[in-house]
Amino acid sequence: MEQENQEQPETQVQNQDFQLPTDSYQVKLEIFEGPLDLLLFLIRKKKIDIHDIPIAIITRDYLEYLDKKEQINLDREAEFLLIASLLIYIKSQMLLPREQEAGERDDPRQVLIDRLLEYQKIKVASTLLREKEEDQQQRWIRTFLPPVAKSEEAELLVVSLFDLAESFFLLMKRKEQENFRVIKGKDVSVEQKIKEIISFLEKNGSMDFLEYFSAQESMEEALVSFFCLLELIKNHLVLAVQEQLFQTIRVWLRKSQTPPHGPDHE
Amino acid sequence: MNDQLKVILEVLIFISQEPLTRDKIKEVVGEVSDEELEAGFQALQEDYASSCRGIQIIQTAGGFLFATKPEHDQWVRRLLQIEKKTKLSSAALETLSIIAYHQPVTQAEISAIRGVDSTYCLKTLLQKKLIKIVGRKKAPGNPLIYRTSERFLQYFGLNSLDDLPKEEEIAKILEEEKQMVS
Repeated sequence: MEQENQEQPETQVQNQDFQLPTDSYQVKLEIFEGPLDLLLFLIRKKKIDIHDIPIAIITRDYLEYLDKKEQINLDREAEFLLIASLLIYIKSQMLLPREQEAGERDDPRQVLIDRLLEYQKIKVASTLLREKEEDQQQRWIRTFLPPVAKSEEAELLVVSLFDLAESFFLLMKRKEQENFRVIKGKDVSVEQKIKEIISFLEKNGSMDFLEYFSAQESMEEALVSFFCLLELIKNHLVLAVQEQLFQTIRVWLRKSQTPPHGPDHE
Repeated sequence: MNDQLKVILEVLIFISQEPLTRDKIKEVVGEVSDEELEAGFQALQEDYASSCRGIQIIQTAGGFLFATKPEHDQWVRRLLQIEKKTKLSSAALETLSIIAYHQPVTQAEISAIRGVDSTYCLKTLLQKKLIKIVGRKKAPGNPLIYRTSERFLQYFGLNSLDDLPKEEEIAKILEEEKQMVS
């Protein structure tokens, strides 16, 4: 019963659309998910048994639909045309005399019937899933903000120079792929950048270096920021940790009382 | 003991972000028989089923989770200032149904069933994490193979893939539609 109620408005909409003047045709084709959807609609409209499709009639109806279209949008219409060619092919097969009175299995329409039946099933499954979606969307679950990993909780790995270099090249590659349209004549000095990084760290506690690097405006600035990181590590001012190879480098400000090996010493 | 277990279950489910599985519970609680566990769940679910409760415990994607009851939907939306939740487009839903019923499946197979190129839909579904890539098919071109994800089950409130509408159910609906037309 529920299904009937759901189905009726939809068919009505389609029927109304179908009666619109030809110039609104473009809109009409859009309501179909694809050529098979259109075929199923035509079949249902003509009250045809899907297992015994009068190919001539359906092909005519289907092509009428396509003919009304003035402009062909290749991306979309190619798919409609593909099915049109299948219909015409089947029609021609039906016209050809066959050697023997063919059994059902040799019915040239079988390919189409199988596809339509399968597609029809999927359509029904979709409507059932839609109902579930709607029901489920009324049941809210709590969503959490991702917990911020504290420095002592994270499993730490001391970064070797190679890891850093590796990340650096990875970052460079990413930067390279970006299109820079504006060239800015902005000079960034290492000193400035170091100050910037330190104040960022003082404010935020830690830094996702990968994110920071990608946020840099220019290649030059990004490079300088990497040098700064190296410089800061060298001077034992910050602690850089990479949890896994190719992952981001997390940077913390070293507190003066923290021994050189810091939290990764367990 | 049973009441104690019930309370523990409540706590564990309450604190879980992802559906809490029976295995995980056993891991935490330690020695507990399946019967005791099921009795605990049942008692807990009955408690929440009462109409004076706004939340309930649902079984989804193989685990338990707290969720609001559907009748209070509007209040949640008012609080979160969400007019309407976005739904999947019908093209995406169609693609998803095909994957659900035909998995593991490739892009070409999906497009063949729909009669429409489905590359874009697959991208959307991947982004929404409703499907996942599970490997490549040993066929010309080594196409990617897709499956539905845990998130898919949760999104539709299914406990497992066995909960998908059955073939018979679909056939019955088709039969009814046919009778309506004729």
